[in-house]
Amino acid sequence: RSFASQTDGESRLARVLREKFPRASAIKVVDISGGCGAMYEIHIESEEFREKRTVQQHQMVNQALSEEIKHMHGLRIFTSAPKP
Amino acid sequence: MRAAVRTGWRIGAAAAALRGRAGRPLSQAAGEGGTGEEGGGGSGSREAVERLVREHPVVVFMKGSPAQPLCGFSNAVVQILRLHGVEDYRAHDVLQDPDLRQGIKNYSNWPTIPQVYLNGEFVGGCDILLQMHQNGDLVEELKKLGIRSALLDAEKDEEKK
Repeated sequence: RSFASQTDGESRLARVLREKFPRASAIKVVDISGGCGAMYEIHIESEEFREKRTVQQHQMVNQALSEEIKHMHGLRIFTSAPKP
Repeated sequence: MRAAVRTGWRIGAAAAALRGRAGRPLSQAAGEGGTGEEGGGGSGSREAVERLVREHPVVVFMKGSPAQPLCGFSNAVVQILRLHGVEDYRAHDVLQDPDLRQGIKNYSNWPTIPQVYLNGEFVGGCDILLQMHQNGDLVEELKKLGIRSALLDAEKDEEKK
C-alpha cells in the first residue's frame, strides 16, 4: 500500500497515540480490515515502555485508545522500547 | 448522583428484560458495572471469574472451543498451546455466555478475547502469547507450572539426529 494514503481511522488513531505517548520514537497504525475501520494493527516504539512487561505496555495502549477500541472488532498491538 | 444511579439501573433492567434474563445490567464502560453491582454473583461477576481463572494452571477465554475455534486469534492461541503439547487446559467459550464475555474484560481490564491465564494470572492475548512462544518465554512459564513443553523434546530429537 502507498505510504501516502492513510484512512481517516488510521490518521485519527495515530494522532491520539502521538498525544498520549509524547516520547514515542515510532508510531504506525494499519487498518487490517480492508479500510473498514473494524480491525487495526498498532506498532509503537517509545521510551515510556522501557522496563515494563509486555502486558503492561499493551495495557497502556488500551487505556490510551479506550474510547476508539469500543468501536473496533479487534486490535493487534506491538510495543517496544527504542534500542539504547 | 442518586438520580444517575437510578437511571443506570432502569436502563440496565430494560436491557436485561430484552435479553429475557434477570441478570445484572451489563455496561461497556470501564469501571461502571464494576464494584457496585457485583453482589448478584452472575457468571460475569468478579468472584465467578476469579473462580474460573484459578480452576487450572492454564485457563483460556476464547471464541469457540479448542476443537472448533470461531475466531482466528482464538485459533492461534489453541495452536500455540498445542505446539507445546498443552492439550489439558480449561477453555471457556465467551460466545456462549454474554455475562462472562463482559465480565472477563472487566476483570482483566483488557478489551479483547482471547485471554490467557497462567496460574490465575492474566498473561495476555494472542499477540503476547505468540511473542512468548517465539522468544522462549512460554517454555519457561510452562516449566514454572510444572508443565514440560513438547518443544523441548522436539529439540532433543533434533540434536540426536
